[in-house]
Amino acid sequence: MEKGKLIFVTGGVRSGKSSYAESMAVAWSKQLASNLHYVACGVPSDQEMTERIARHQESRENALVSWETWECPYHLQDLANHFSKQDILLLDCVTTLLNNYLFACRIEKPEQALDYILTDIASLQEAAAGLIVVSNEVTQGILDEESLTKNYQYILGNVHQKIVEHADAAYLIENGIPIRKKGAMACKGL
Amino acid sequence: MHFVTGGAFNGKRKWVKNNYVMDQTLWLTAYAADALTKPSDAVIPSTVVLEGLERWIQTQIDSALVSDTLRQNVMNRIEPWLAWEEADSYRQLVIIGTDMSKGIVPVDQQDRLWRDITGWIYQDLVKRSERADVIWYGVEQTIKTSEKGR
Repeated sequence: MEKGKLIFVTGGVRSGKSSYAESMAVAWSKQLASNLHYVACGVPSDQEMTERIARHQESRENALVSWETWECPYHLQDLANHFSKQDILLLDCVTTLLNNYLFACRIEKPEQALDYILTDIASLQEAAAGLIVVSNEVTQGILDEESLTKNYQYILGNVHQKIVEHADAAYLIENGIPIRKKGAMACKGL
Repeated sequence: MHFVTGGAFNGKRKWVKNNYVMDQTLWLTAYAADALTKPSDAVIPSTVVLEGLERWIQTQIDSALVSDTLRQNVMNRIEPWLAWEEADSYRQLVIIGTDMSKGIVPVDQQDRLWRDITGWIYQDLVKRSERADVIWYGVEQTIKTSEKGR
């Protein structure tokens, strides 16, 4: 079976990366006349996270198109058999997934976390017509010798390198403006 | 001189290894506590890579000195490499420095100074370079190209 297309969207905090990825998913699903799915890894662990999740849910509910939401904190590969080549998937976001592997699953080996995340992404991409993966820029601050932060940046940086390597297109969002780093997505309405 | 920058864990080392012939290269890395200053008596191959510039800069920070002096001192220690490269058109100097300018302001004064000096040195180096690239997860964006030696 042909692998679906993989699009990578990243940016800083409040850069507009989620909105951009959502618009892209909507335009893409219209173009292909396919269904929209949202894979949410966020766990409502505290009030702040609950509010953030609610804000994202509200924005999808107000959308003119209908999204089907799949809440799954980790091992997203288990979801893969629910999808077909009639589906466009949006995964938001890799940092949440990594948090869950590190803090809920207590994965200690960086290579193990790296492997789980890449397997999750590959399985979803395999199943669907297209997968948009959203993530966060966290590797450009002052270098932190503290092992937890360094470990986190190491895993995420390497996950991003692998995703970009395999992606059909990759975008860095700056203040709501997409900067194309690799490939291109031909979508009407974007 | 070719200056290569980008965030941590973005694949800068790998990119340089893929873009230069590695068998005739002296690779000095501050991550393994190598001094990045030019050895005076050693036989030096035609390509030299200095990796982890920001780490080496950190070792040069003396908070008793004002920042302009620190910036000048660091540049003075890189000058011998630039002169070495200039002396022969076959020579190539590659400097890799991690971008650490886009996080929140560090709480520690020493760290703020380190971050400031690093940013200024990167500006100085890009000015002196004939090529500069920002590596983003393995993908380069060439932000400067010009004739060698200009």
